[in-house]
Amino acid sequence: MRTLNRTTGFLSFAVAIGVIVVLLAVMNWVPTAFQKDTLRRYRSIEEVSTALNIRDIYVPSYFPQHIVWPPSEILAQGKPFPAVVMEFKDAGSGEIVLELSQSQGGPFPAGPAIALAGIKETVPFIMKGRKAVLVVGECARNEPCSRITWKEGPYTVTALMKAAPFELTRIAESMLR
Amino acid sequence: MIISTFFNSYAGMYVAQSFCHSLIAAIITERAVKAWKVDDPAAQQRFHLIAVIFPIFSFPLYQALNANRSSAQFRLDALFDINRWLNWEIWGAVPLGLLFLVMLIATSLVFLFQESIPVVKHTLESRNAEHDGTQCAPEPFVEKASRDLSLEAPEVLMLDDDEPVLFSTTGRDPVIFISAGLREALTEDQLHAALAHELAHIARSRRPLLITVFVLRAIMFFNPAVLVKFRRAVRDEEKICDDIAVSLTGNPKALAGALEKFYHKPAAPVETDGRKLPAVPLPIEEYSHNLHLESRISRLEHGAARTRKNETALFAITLLVITVLNYFVV
Repeated sequence: MRTLNRTTGFLSFAVAIGVIVVLLAVMNWVPTAFQKDTLRRYRSIEEVSTALNIRDIYVPSYFPQHIVWPPSEILAQGKPFPAVVMEFKDAGSGEIVLELSQSQGGPFPAGPAIALAGIKETVPFIMKGRKAVLVVGECARNEPCSRITWKEGPYTVTALMKAAPFELTRIAESMLR
Repeated sequence: MIISTFFNSYAGMYVAQSFCHSLIAAIITERAVKAWKVDDPAAQQRFHLIAVIFPIFSFPLYQALNANRSSAQFRLDALFDINRWLNWEIWGAVPLGLLFLVMLIATSLVFLFQESIPVVKHTLESRNAEHDGTQCAPEPFVEKASRDLSLEAPEVLMLDDDEPVLFSTTGRDPVIFISAGLREALTEDQLHAALAHELAHIARSRRPLLITVFVLRAIMFFNPAVLVKFRRAVRDEEKICDDIAVSLTGNPKALAGALEKFYHKPAAPVETDGRKLPAVPLPIEEYSHNLHLESRISRLEHGAARTRKNETALFAITLLVITVLNYFVV
């Protein structure tokens, strides 16, 4: 009898947790169903442009050969502020090695793929007349990592790369017209 | 834009996520208590306090474990992202985040006027050595029960009031106050049961863990889910003190009888010009007070079911489920 009670108790608890998970998932989906410009994944830059009416999407014209075009992941939103994030993979390892983001609402980190941990140096950097901040450091496994951030019109643009700053600044400069 | 900027900041994420985490914890603990038929009020209180304490630490803990929890990708793949709702604009103008902020401010005001100010007032009154009321003759029962609870016997003061009033101050020199009206209405056994209940409150108020919980609760002053759950925990405290009182007197019926004296009766129907007007319904607070009293009286009259379970294991499972589930709620 006691075992039966205990089993019923565990079953009832498990069902309740299942219902809570489903309810949370449904409640998470509802705003996306009613708001087209909420944060979501896109297949291409053109799709972002059309769906969210974001005209200026900053893309580099220079790409090192080992980085795959098009981006492996594009996340974007129109509200509460326009923001676009793109991730690019390395042709050899398939790892994400470059992350580009532009946001009208401050920093907009994409995801866990590139995490700049040990910061060695933060220096001001002038790029085609724009004042940028270049951060040099290391990612996981002591790989060299660098990040550059600058203001471009209403956007804060950030480029984060698993590479030494020289390559990153070349990519960043090629994003400017 | 200002509202969304706030909810994207660390402080904003803390406020919004701690609300979600406490709400989910509140629902889960409620289900856990029912599913496992946890009937011991002390155990129930431990479950209810998860929803009060857990959200204080959950967000900083999760962020320390994974700083990328606030990234776009994590939010997109999360089980629930509250920012989707907070950024939602009603009629394209009013963001739900604004209404959420109004709710938090209203909760903060309730906390200030219904919890903080009365507690501060009570503490100051407890420190004040001068108390109104006349000293009652020393009760041998109070002496004995205090010894059983490892307390110094508190003073018992009689208030000149016909209404049933019974409370205690819990400072360094605790005092039990009882109104003359209540003293007269109670039998000897009921009086002992009522005094034992107050002694239990005095004894419990000295537990450092309980004091810590009360202080920590203040951090979540803005959180409506914590407000509700904390009140549940306070009600559990009454039942815990009922059980201690019964263990001191060995007479649950006497305590039930004493509690009945605190029942708020609706005003009697009024007759005007030969026509009888319906009875005035009780205000919601008194109705809720009566409901709580009824449940306490029923426990005492029918004997609280005491099925000892491995409550520590059930508590640990509940806490684990809450911790894991809330990790994916941002």
